[in-house]
Amino acid sequence: MDRILEARPGSKILLLGNEAIARGALEAGVAVATTYPGTPASEIGDTLARVAKDAGIYFEYSINEIVATEMAIGAAASGVRAIVSMKHVGLNVASDALMTFAYTGTRGGFVLVTADDPSCHSSQNEQDNRYYALLGGIPLLEPSSAQECYDMTKEAFEISEKLELPVIVRTTTRVSHVRGPVVVGAIVPGAKKKEFVKDPMRFVTVPAVARARHLVLLQRLIEAEKLSEESHLNSIHNIGSGARLGIITSSAAFNYSMDAAAALESPVDILKLGFSHPLPSKKVIEFLKSHEVVAIVEELEPILETSVRALAQHESVRTKIVGKADGAFPRAYEFDQSIVAEGLAKAFNTRQGNASISSASPSALPVRPPVLCAGCPHSATYFAVNMAVGKKAVFASDIGCYTLGVAPPYNAADLLVCMGSSVGTAGGLALVNHQPVIAFIGDSTFFHAGIPGLINAVHHGHKFLLMILDNRTTAMTGHQPHPASDKGPSCCDITAVSMEDVVKGCGVKWLRVVDPYDVKLTTETVKEALKQAGISIIIARRECALIAKRDEQGAITKKHVIDQDACKKCRTCVDKFQCPAISSKDKVQNIDQSQCAGCSVCAQICPHKAIKGAE
Amino acid sequence: MVDVYLVGVGGQGIITASKIIGDAAILSGKKVVLSETHGMAQRGGSVVCTARIGDMSSALILDGQADVIVSFELLETLRALNKASGKTIVITSTEQIVPLSISTQKLHYPTLEEVRIEVGKVAKIFIQVDAPKLAEDSSVPKSSNIVMVGALAGTGVTGIERRHFEKAVEMNIPRWVPENLEAFAKGFQVAQGT
Repeated sequence: MDRILEARPGSKILLLGNEAIARGALEAGVAVATTYPGTPASEIGDTLARVAKDAGIYFEYSINEIVATEMAIGAAASGVRAIVSMKHVGLNVASDALMTFAYTGTRGGFVLVTADDPSCHSSQNEQDNRYYALLGGIPLLEPSSAQECYDMTKEAFEISEKLELPVIVRTTTRVSHVRGPVVVGAIVPGAKKKEFVKDPMRFVTVPAVARARHLVLLQRLIEAEKLSEESHLNSIHNIGSGARLGIITSSAAFNYSMDAAAALESPVDILKLGFSHPLPSKKVIEFLKSHEVVAIVEELEPILETSVRALAQHESVRTKIVGKADGAFPRAYEFDQSIVAEGLAKAFNTRQGNASISSASPSALPVRPPVLCAGCPHSATYFAVNMAVGKKAVFASDIGCYTLGVAPPYNAADLLVCMGSSVGTAGGLALVNHQPVIAFIGDSTFFHAGIPGLINAVHHGHKFLLMILDNRTTAMTGHQPHPASDKGPSCCDITAVSMEDVVKGCGVKWLRVVDPYDVKLTTETVKEALKQAGISIIIARRECALIAKRDEQGAITKKHVIDQDACKKCRTCVDKFQCPAISSKDKVQNIDQSQCAGCSVCAQICPHKAIKGAE
Repeated sequence: MVDVYLVGVGGQGIITASKIIGDAAILSGKKVVLSETHGMAQRGGSVVCTARIGDMSSALILDGQADVIVSFELLETLRALNKASGKTIVITSTEQIVPLSISTQKLHYPTLEEVRIEVGKVAKIFIQVDAPKLAEDSSVPKSSNIVMVGALAGTGVTGIERRHFEKAVEMNIPRWVPENLEAFAKGFQVAQGT
């Protein structure tokens, strides 16, 4: 049995922040859990997908974040508990549903987890999703450790039902991807089925209803603030006694503040805001009044800072408030103990407690960026596209492993903003540029957000080639299934949707399906596609090499070797193709047999036929 | 407080190793916080895990602050040296995973001797572990990461007893327990003998 399910009440287990959220949801009696995968949120869904059957809950990897949110809304509006999780940019997709769901409110507890990514460890931006709580009038909880991920997820359901509002639990990479001991409680199954009680004057947001419900929301926020004032999640931590210095902080910044404050010479009080929207105004004012200088320590946007300054102005509090506006703390990238220590030294005008020990600055080392794997079908596709069009095409790229094609030797990405953007931007690019335009989108991303763009392109007659790089999985985030998959989460049967049917259904007339491992065919098909008068689609279909390797069906021929006598050292296999299995040392190229996936692409592209299947 | 900084390349089992350290710490009644950075690591990028054992809140390890660096790959040892200072023990696997940049940009992959010299300039102790070979000998070729955990345990720096490490290995890899414990013992021995 799974660690998540088997842990007994009262026991202490090591959990990832995301796993702790999953356990918290199970203990809260969640009935429906949905997600669209995305780092650093993925393990919430992956954990629930794994245990869904044994736990007796419904779980799905939805087609995208807004559908995931709508699924959860449908369930929670009926009265059962629901959780939906996503990465920060996923909430941009889901926000349309969430903003108005705050008006109707919920019956069953509704928790939306957003995992932000300060420093863009694996994201296209580092937006601060706490703004969504302010924008929508939605209560916000900010855990700072694995234990709090668990505690606050459970509490979020309680708050949600008390206020009849959705609740946002906001983590960051350093909360979701931190592992720590968690003391768990008992899993109590909740209601799974309800009889929907009709109430259109609440749940159908025609303008007259929306106007009335907005006032209800504002009233609920007043009640929410009372909960926030009384909440144990907003607590004061004294480091030393009789402090005239204070810190207001939340999330991972609380951890850095604790360690940095402990190293200061003066005593410091820390007001930790776990329930940070609505702000507990009275608690904050009281804290300000009882300290001479208060530093606001938060990653990314000055959200607490702005609110605290506004409160101080409103209440005519003269306490010195120091934050990003004073340049004490940066507005970009994640913090650590030393950034916070430096900021506190500026804010409090004190000497820094433990200046970090000077250390070796590593000289320039060979870089190790993430690359397309040995046998990756995307590599083969990009090679073929390079052969077919050279550098003259403009490439609209999208979110997934294949974005790595931006690097040499392929240089196969010229524009990328968000999930599904390849298709939409390709239309605009084709409209105003003379060059041919090729859009690349993954299979999961195509289903997620590519379909409306495709219909738009067909309808308006935009001329470009859309290549759907179909590796049969959502590879980048850990191989989650998508609508064309035939295997889903543990709980439920699923139906595979045909990608070809979808593409044809969008009105596409010119569609080809190729195996990218067939380099010549793929190259010729790209050339032919670019001759079409309107939009053309190529589905380049070949299973992700990591899955093929895992399932031991990798080698379609056999592992390959270079015949050094036949090799003319032309370096085509390392300069024009990119395979981690092929290395070049002292002008001699070799194929690492332990890494070779047997895709045979290198053998096809070698101008001297020097690469062959191993005996 | 003990700061353990683990580095290597995606696919080397570093996260599993960090979980074993975390479980062992809990079993021995210590406080522990682990973090992992692996966004696109599955695609052959560098992986970093931190394990901080003791009474603190932050998960990250500052420059110069690592008590132990456990490097699962030779080149990555050099990349981790900004975390080292005069107190640091550096445990390095001799395993080499040559990045593409070596071939495409015609760069130099460091030799073991070069790594030893660079480590010697900043750190206190250098322990070299032929992890792939020792793993092979213990009949689970994929147990290099367990060999490295064994070496960490063998230094005694974490203050966690051997039996807690061994129990944690069992908890995290329920299959192949005797073989993995053998791999652990081989790593343990190397560190003890250094």
